[in-house]
Amino acid sequence: MVGRPPTEEELVERARAGDGAAFGALVRDHQEIAFRTAYLITRNAAEAEDAAQTALVKAHRALRRFRRGAPFRPWLLTIVANEARNRRRAGARRDVLTLRAAADDPSRVAAPSPEDAVVAAEERAALLGALDGLADDHRLVLALRYLLDLSEEETAVALGVRRGTVKSRTARALERLRAQLGEAA
Amino acid sequence: MSDLELRLAALRDDVVFPATPDLAARVVDLASPRPSRRLRPLVVAVAVAVALAAGLLAASPGARSAFLELFRLKGATVTRVERLPQVDRVELDLGSALSRAEAERRVGFRLLDLGEPDAILVRGRMASLVYGPPDRPRLVLSQLRASVWDGFVKKAGGAGTRIDEVSVGGERGLFLSGVEHYVMFLENGSVRDERTALAGNVLLWNRGDLLLRLEADVGREEALELAESVR
Repeated sequence: MVGRPPTEEELVERARAGDGAAFGALVRDHQEIAFRTAYLITRNAAEAEDAAQTALVKAHRALRRFRRGAPFRPWLLTIVANEARNRRRAGARRDVLTLRAAADDPSRVAAPSPEDAVVAAEERAALLGALDGLADDHRLVLALRYLLDLSEEETAVALGVRRGTVKSRTARALERLRAQLGEAA
Repeated sequence: MSDLELRLAALRDDVVFPATPDLAARVVDLASPRPSRRLRPLVVAVAVAVALAAGLLAASPGARSAFLELFRLKGATVTRVERLPQVDRVELDLGSALSRAEAERRVGFRLLDLGEPDAILVRGRMASLVYGPPDRPRLVLSQLRASVWDGFVKKAGGAGTRIDEVSVGGERGLFLSGVEHYVMFLENGSVRDERTALAGNVLLWNRGDLLLRLEADVGREEALELAESVR
């Protein structure tokens, strides 16, 4: 008989008690969102990797201060985002987000015609380009909310702002994005 | 959700993120209980690297395998690690003694100083102003342009080495105090480890696009005072 996998709360408890494997399991569950959050903040893969790794080490050290029963991901993202913000250096090379070509994803349902496929790809590229062209605050709040699917609370901790600020900033960022795209509200 | 929000959310599967590194594999070792850890000295590696060197270091999996903490300055990376490679004791080579004019021509910028030095040594694009007898200097002020690459300097301290973030003239710096220090140069693709001539504390800081490094047997406050008076 196979036992059920440990819950996140159980993994946290074991990790707090010094179980390295449990901490490893927690990291594996969250390393992608941690790295991508750091990447969206720093816009540099090497800085994001350093930030995420350092943050994870700091999180391990800080586990004893983690409030029992609280969700682990927002807590971890707070540490990751702080580290990433501290590493974001002026003048560093900034990556530009790109889109996967439709042909790279066989699971994608084919567009009705090659012409439609081209139009769809151009629209997606224009949307991503417009997003990338927003001011940092606006770009980041939309990228975290919609590209990473972070909750408002997680976005708030990642940005180091209140949840209400996430709401208002998201609304303003969407307005700006519509304007960039030449669309009416 | 508005149409625009739906279109943004639909981009989620299409955006290309860099591959997520296997961070779990790296940190799990640090998270494991180590009964013998207390017996192993915690050491500090301080990498003073120009931009390209930092990129090379970042690209090396080995360089990332065991670091516990990392600090960055413009052109410098300071890494706290658990283990260091074995370092042979050899005399620190700060380069060739040159006149100030020749040294400035080599490094491509006007040298900053704390008064007239006893010697000016240049190795690659790094100039070191030596105060006191060259074989037993009291203070060494090294400087290089943080945006060029001509070598890689890595400094390491033994157990108890401390890293403090400081401010010098409004710019960021790091003060390293501890017991042993090593310097590592990456030249022509290979790493040479050398033990520093001084066993003093080290202050690293940026001034404009320069990275400065002051090494002397002084405390933090005195080092900061000296750094503020560098002209």
